[in-house]
Amino acid sequence: MKKIIAAGVGVGALLAFGAIAPANAADDNAMLSVLHGVPGLTVDVYVNDELKIDDFEPGDLAGPLELPAGTYTVAITASDAADASSPAIGPVDLPLEAGMNYTAVAHLTEAGEPTATLFTNDTSQIAAGQGRLTVRHVAAAPAVDVLAGGSAVVSNLANPDEQKLDIPASVVSATIVAAGTTEPAVLGPADVDVAEGVNTIVYAWGSLADDNLALAVQTVSGMHSTPDGVPAGSAGLAATNAPGSGTGTWAVIGGAILAALALGFALLRRRGAAESER
Amino acid sequence: MPEVKVAAGVVGSLVAAFAALALLSGCTSAPAAPTAAPASQAPRESASPAAAAPARAVPDVPRTSAALEDHPVVVPPAPTRLEVPDLGIDVSVRPVGLDDQGRMGLYDDPAIAAWYQWGPAPASPAGSTVIAAHVDSLEYDLLPFARLRDAAAGMTVFVTDAAGTRRGYAVQSLEVIEKADVDWRAAFDRSGAPRLTLVTCGGEFDYENRRYLSNLVVTATPVG
Repeated sequence: MKKIIAAGVGVGALLAFGAIAPANAADDNAMLSVLHGVPGLTVDVYVNDELKIDDFEPGDLAGPLELPAGTYTVAITASDAADASSPAIGPVDLPLEAGMNYTAVAHLTEAGEPTATLFTNDTSQIAAGQGRLTVRHVAAAPAVDVLAGGSAVVSNLANPDEQKLDIPASVVSATIVAAGTTEPAVLGPADVDVAEGVNTIVYAWGSLADDNLALAVQTVSGMHSTPDGVPAGSAGLAATNAPGSGTGTWAVIGGAILAALALGFALLRRRGAAESER
Repeated sequence: MPEVKVAAGVVGSLVAAFAALALLSGCTSAPAAPTAAPASQAPRESASPAAAAPARAVPDVPRTSAALEDHPVVVPPAPTRLEVPDLGIDVSVRPVGLDDQGRMGLYDDPAIAAWYQWGPAPASPAGSTVIAAHVDSLEYDLLPFARLRDAAAGMTVFVTDAAGTRRGYAVQSLEVIEKADVDWRAAFDRSGAPRLTLVTCGGEFDYENRRYLSNLVVTATPVG
């Protein structure tokens, strides 16, 4: 679900995207968000040589953009660049498929070099009562575990990978630690709202060596289910028909239907009257 | 024999009624049966948030801080009480999820209505707060929600939440819809203007399988 975008040009590159977005684009379109996860560098983002995000700050999320499916060329430059000819990251080609939801992240490699990664956000339906937690490691830091409620829910997550899980919807107190340990906390604990039917994406970004690790969050919603019905009666006491009694049931049902029809007309007329009052 | 009322003008529906007869023979969910209850599907507002409009050119990009600390957890308080003074309805409300058949769960206690906890709450910035309750039970007879069939446009509904906030709503519509035809996606919609949807059962009853054939759905919008 992840593609590494060959990056590797400039020295101070940058960027990561995050945002709250409807999960599903129109059939022929793709959704794209961009997260700036490179510390200390304000940048401009060019898409197909057109400046789309001016003065993009670290830790900010842009989008979502609904784009026709296709391949887009993204270049990230210093914020004072005149054009996209000398990018700090890229140019990289982002192949966006119809109906998919993506986040392109400008970030540091584990070794601290600027790069960019295109992640596919999981927008498959989530069971009722569940939320989806996705954790992405885009920081200049070794592999980590994510602890929630004292146990590891994500293990040995390395840059630039992701892990995800569906859990009962709840507010999770998450702590990020070095892989295989339980303390000290590298980040957190921090409260993360893993809401029902929502993919909550948490990014660990920044640099351990530079002591600027941080957490960013993006949510993609709309994957919830809908109840199939509301079974709200069992006695028939409010029924517009009457119980059948073996023989003669047909006549009873027929009468009941006529009665119901009459009631229906009465209701319709009442509604009409009510509407005319407004 | 039940009392049979035949309103003038209904006679023409006899044909439809007998068509329904054929379909009702034992099957509770006659799909295409002409329904006796008004089954109008009132057009609902579809205030779908127009996401970034599709365009050939790359549109302008909204942006926001993704920092976790800039997104404090805000969980809207659950509704705890529902009142419809004009109908003598005053019930406690408690959260529910789904039952084992994927339907909204309900409480057997007649004094408790159910709020679908995975959908919007009254304080949510958008969407339909759904509160439902049984219309009757063999143990408790007719229940408070049975009186919803007398709801009229403009009638006031109050919902109080766990934070103590009491919100007023005005009834907009009352519909009796065959269960198979209810647009649950609309009833449980999480987008659009904040609103209240009350659900119970109504219409005809299938005495063999002990279930109603229709749902009664009341929609109301915030007042003030």
